[in-house]
Amino acid sequence: MVGVRRLWPRGYLFTVLGIAVGVAGLVALGAMAERITRFIDGGDRFVLGQISVAGEGMGMGAGFTAGGLLRVARIAEIARVPGVAGVQPQVMLPLKTTTSQFLTLTQELVLGMDLAVPMPNRNYRELPVRSGRFLQPGDRGVAVVGSDFAASRRLAVGGMLSVGGLKWTIVGVLDKTLTAPDRFAMVSIEDARDLWLRRDPLLVQLFGPAGGLGRADLNSGAAVAWEAGADPDALARRIQETVPGVNVTIPSEVSRLLRESTAFFSALLLGIGVLGLVIGGLSLSNTVTAAVFERIRDFGIKRALGATDLDLLREVLGEALAVSLSGGMAGIAVAVAIGWAIDLRIVREGQQIFLFSPRLLAFALVFSVVLGALAAAYATLRIAHLTPADAIRRGA
Amino acid sequence: MVPALAGVDLEAKPGEFVAVVGASGSGKSTLLNLLGLLEPPDTGEIWFDDLRVSHLPRRAQARVRGGRIGYVFQSFLLISGLTALENVLLAARYVGRGRAAALREAMALMERLGVADRRDHYPAQLSGGEQQRVAYCRAVLNHPPLVLADEPTGSLDDAHAAVILGELRALARDGVSVILVTHRAEAAAEAQRVLKLEAGRFVAP
Repeated sequence: MVGVRRLWPRGYLFTVLGIAVGVAGLVALGAMAERITRFIDGGDRFVLGQISVAGEGMGMGAGFTAGGLLRVARIAEIARVPGVAGVQPQVMLPLKTTTSQFLTLTQELVLGMDLAVPMPNRNYRELPVRSGRFLQPGDRGVAVVGSDFAASRRLAVGGMLSVGGLKWTIVGVLDKTLTAPDRFAMVSIEDARDLWLRRDPLLVQLFGPAGGLGRADLNSGAAVAWEAGADPDALARRIQETVPGVNVTIPSEVSRLLRESTAFFSALLLGIGVLGLVIGGLSLSNTVTAAVFERIRDFGIKRALGATDLDLLREVLGEALAVSLSGGMAGIAVAVAIGWAIDLRIVREGQQIFLFSPRLLAFALVFSVVLGALAAAYATLRIAHLTPADAIRRGA
Repeated sequence: MVPALAGVDLEAKPGEFVAVVGASGSGKSTLLNLLGLLEPPDTGEIWFDDLRVSHLPRRAQARVRGGRIGYVFQSFLLISGLTALENVLLAARYVGRGRAAALREAMALMERLGVADRRDHYPAQLSGGEQQRVAYCRAVLNHPPLVLADEPTGSLDDAHAAVILGELRALARDGVSVILVTHRAEAAAEAQRVLKLEAGRFVAP
């Protein structure tokens, strides 16, 4: 009990509460900014980790990539381009076809992957699995789902996912990545082709000798990996130039476009962060300064008893440290509790608003302690010039 | 600007009990604040034995206040966030005394003054008489050679006032210089020497 008493100086309850309110605001706003940042950064890492190729045009069966079919012959041509290390055929389909053109950043997708090819994305060689396992070559009728996808449908390993009349057994649930894969259902490319054909019966008529298409041509895109040391942008341009009839994304250009398209969010989170710092900082420094000024009389008494300026500064800083630390921790606890309660409520829709990252919490704690100490030092220096008699009189 | 004190010359010898009387605004408290180094004089000097304390640096003045001067105020000036015992021990903190020895002495003092059983109470939980006795314990804990008492009985009933005055008298008998500021004739009557202040100057009592 002695330790707790020392950590929380008597008479400072309202000071601690005042600081807690400021820090809670800072942490809550910061956690929202962290969440948006992680989402944008995750997308950026993804597009910089692979070259995405789609079939040319906006034709039938475009799927999520809004490209045409990427036929197997084209994929073979891409694989022969110097610098290409691997090509993974993919089928990417929006889960809800009625809303597939809207809000694509948060679109739920079925992603079919050719599991015989290793994951081509350099930044996502494997996705973190929270429970169960990831897909393996030869898998059919099974799916691995992202964390938000699973949460919004209460799916767990062993559960069933039904889309477009097809059923998959869930064999794995991914850990939260706070970016696009959280809203994915990943299946084998053959399963995804089945789903595509069911959704788009016109495609069926193109198969066979008359249409000239085989089942292996049914790809909405491909992810291309490059050899070590290759320049991905140069390789993407080379693919575009040497392989006819494909749309190739240039990784750095897509990254730039992504950054530009999320510039609003970046500005928003900067504003949120600055707002959090200002609100939290003002609240904290004002509370600590007021607490010191309230004790002018005590300082006068202590100086009458022999305390030097250094003694007082040391005492005030010690108390400010304890109070700021207590207030900071209380504020963090309040913000985390509120954020957790809100996220718990909206996670059913597969959303998460707050991200209480360790760096944010550490920053909030250091921020509150440093600012508290600075505010206390400022207030102490302001009253240090008072004579003991003046201090006693003013504080009376 | 009107000077609060002018031409005042006061010397207190060891063991001398001096009372300063005067009407409100006569400069009694200012005199005590100057003597106690609680505020600096605009002109003039204050000496402690052979040390001109009025011109010492702030840090050295703090050492003099902590080790050589004890204060008893009318409004007690206890720190509300500290218990009675912690208030008493505060006097030892700034002069570098060991806590164990200071604690023993503080307890003995509080026992003698009848407030030992109130050691864990906060000032707001104490009566005026108890608060003044706690303040007195704090003032004498470091055995200062000079005790300054500013209307120490002003807020007390006769019985409690008698206790404090008796203690101050005993201090003087033990060789401590006591300077008492008061407007109570019966308090001043305890002193060996009575000085009267009027408009910042000593006049014949």
